[in-house]
Amino acid sequence: MESLIRTMDDSLAEVLRDESRNSGRAESVSFPRSEEEVLKVLAYCRSRGISITVQGARTGLAAAAVPYGGHVLNCSKMNQVIGCRQDEHGRFILTCQPGVILSELKKAIDSKSFDMSLWSDESKACFEKVRKAERQFFPPDPTEASATIGGMAACNASGARTFAYKSMRAHVDRVRMVLTTGKVVDVRRGQATAQGRSLELSLLPEGLLQLDLPTYQMPLTKNAAGYYVEDDMDAVDLLVGSDGTLGVMTEIDCILVPHPTFIWGVSCFFPREQEAVEFVIAARAQVADLVALESFDGNALQLLREQRLMSSAFSRLPQVPEDYGYCIYAELHGSEEGCMLEALKKLGDLTESVGGDRKHTWVARNEADLALLQFFRHAVPESTNLLIDRRKQVCPVITKLSTDMSVPDDKLREVVAMYRRGLAEVGLESAAWGHIGNNHIHVNLLPRDEDEFVRGKALYQRWAEAVVAMGGAVAAEHGIGKTKVAMLKSMYGEKHIQEMRAVKVAFDPLQLLGQGNLFPVEGGEQQ
Amino acid sequence: MRIAVCVKQVPSSNEVRMDPVTNTIIRDGKQSVINPYDRFALELALQIKERLGGSVVVVSMGIPATARILKEALSCGADEAVLLSDRAFAGADTLATSYTLHLGIRKIEQRLGKFDLVLCGRMAIDGDTAQIGPELAEQLGIPHITDMEELLEISQEQLVCCRLADGERQRVAVQLPVLLTVNKDINQPRLPNIEGVLWAETAPLHLWNAIDVQANLKRCGLTGSPTQVVRTQVPQRDQECKILLGSVSEQLKVLQHLLKGED
Repeated sequence: MESLIRTMDDSLAEVLRDESRNSGRAESVSFPRSEEEVLKVLAYCRSRGISITVQGARTGLAAAAVPYGGHVLNCSKMNQVIGCRQDEHGRFILTCQPGVILSELKKAIDSKSFDMSLWSDESKACFEKVRKAERQFFPPDPTEASATIGGMAACNASGARTFAYKSMRAHVDRVRMVLTTGKVVDVRRGQATAQGRSLELSLLPEGLLQLDLPTYQMPLTKNAAGYYVEDDMDAVDLLVGSDGTLGVMTEIDCILVPHPTFIWGVSCFFPREQEAVEFVIAARAQVADLVALESFDGNALQLLREQRLMSSAFSRLPQVPEDYGYCIYAELHGSEEGCMLEALKKLGDLTESVGGDRKHTWVARNEADLALLQFFRHAVPESTNLLIDRRKQVCPVITKLSTDMSVPDDKLREVVAMYRRGLAEVGLESAAWGHIGNNHIHVNLLPRDEDEFVRGKALYQRWAEAVVAMGGAVAAEHGIGKTKVAMLKSMYGEKHIQEMRAVKVAFDPLQLLGQGNLFPVEGGEQQ
Repeated sequence: MRIAVCVKQVPSSNEVRMDPVTNTIIRDGKQSVINPYDRFALELALQIKERLGGSVVVVSMGIPATARILKEALSCGADEAVLLSDRAFAGADTLATSYTLHLGIRKIEQRLGKFDLVLCGRMAIDGDTAQIGPELAEQLGIPHITDMEELLEISQEQLVCCRLADGERQRVAVQLPVLLTVNKDINQPRLPNIEGVLWAETAPLHLWNAIDVQANLKRCGLTGSPTQVVRTQVPQRDQECKILLGSVSEQLKVLQHLLKGED
């Protein structure tokens, strides 16, 4: 046990932080390599009443992996794909340990090459079918490709392609989860469904978990706020997106889909935000084969222009002309080149119909060019992180304030106008980008000092309340974690928070897991 | 300024996998692309055209599907494209390829007039010979400069450029016409725009066979290739990676055994 549970020391300090730029504290750390070791760690913590924070690659943006004391259970060493099967629909499904890194999984799927030394004969036989089948892919595409599958399942991650392919939840067929009680939940999609809002889950080696699910109605938008609940729901959907509060996932079955024959990316530039918003509204109604609609506002483009000149790492970014004021990235997937050209023509026509110019576009139709546009997309958050890191050196209190809220389709114009009005009133520097196709824009407030930071936080909370009033979600893809606990309460109210807590207590009676995630604890909320 | 740019279709990935049985590339549904070096040559041609006026013609030899990468070049701003495609051209080495390309260029010149510049990428990433440019220049009877990495001056009559020579930069002035082979990263190749992509679908793309270019079949394809590929094989890697598990002392024990050659 001593080699499994390590006392916290300086060499392990990185487990105290995550990509949200928050940091916490812990007394011990473990890096289990198997479910058996996870069970040992949980038993050790249970017997001593030690709280546990589960981690993947710590790429989350809501501080869910930042520990509030106790023990850190880091899943990064459980990083193998351990099996393959084909379901009754003919889909190929890979069983992943939680620490499998998304980029490595994608690479292995693309090259059809896995370490199968520990696979069963059935899995190996199934993988022979994968080898002979058409090219496959795993659609979830969060910006941070170094995320782990466990982390993605925990926060129900999504990305640009969520517009068409939906979030991580839709691509998980089975979850195996170890509970702090020492029991195991192992559930495949379709095996356990709720009756209305009552759900029974079988436990291994024996036992039954009887749950009264929360009674709230989730917003009809992209949503990663709180537990997923709806009438007659599938149990898998509850486990995915549970933010590290119910158990430790040890196996996640990921569903593959055939790779599209054609993937084309198009960046369309507009003079102003208004034209871009009108383009988005028209495109999502009229263009077939659209799988992503992403936005970059003028400030984000200006950050890229500056970063391109400042850093050699960004020098291969395409140059954005000064008169390009707003960018929409659209991605098309299809199987017929003629249809792809039709869709491209439609995008060109719509660009011009709102006042843009179809010459002011970039089209990527091969992997190298698509990778360039992806680099462009990923360079924006990188640039703001670098900016905030520089400012944090001068004023350690501040951190990036990045919104993660979505609203229904018919509220897009309204929410964009609200963001602009708020920014103008408060006078904060900002850069906005994100998944505008899902009415889900990350407005990044970039404070220079503590005063601006405080004003930014207040503005964010105000926006959250307005978004809830519009029927939106306060966390659309990053999860609630520790940073948006107060907003979750704004969204659902105390009664429903307590209903959620009752679910947590059923899974984790001592409430050891993910302290500070979803539910408030003494000591306050992270920023 | 009349500019010809030679382009080649190559596999899209740097991580090419070979079928160990057939020793051929596993394409696995992945599309081919313009050889990356040739994209720098194309971009240079387009920039010169924008500065001095004129036209850019892209030329390739390959299977009919190569038309797709020629459309890609047209969508970026080339004015027309020529694809030399015939079973008689198959299996060509660099000599036979450069002969065929030169016939295509000569045929275009009959209509447009002599080219002032012929641009090639330094080499193709699948063959790595870097021979096509110099051999083509010889076939065309014009001077050539290899490994060009910066264009300093250009007019309708001459150009001055820097080339990489044995680790040093060499400044060269030359009268046109000339053939240049272009190094990587000399510019940032542009992405096409929607207008360009749609235009390329109906843009002039000439498909010429051996008869069209009046080729001497003895100098084409496998017949015209003094280089004969006897066999290809996938390099066998005998490196093995072992991950040691357990505590540090357990790992050290295993490592000791391994270093002593005990398994």
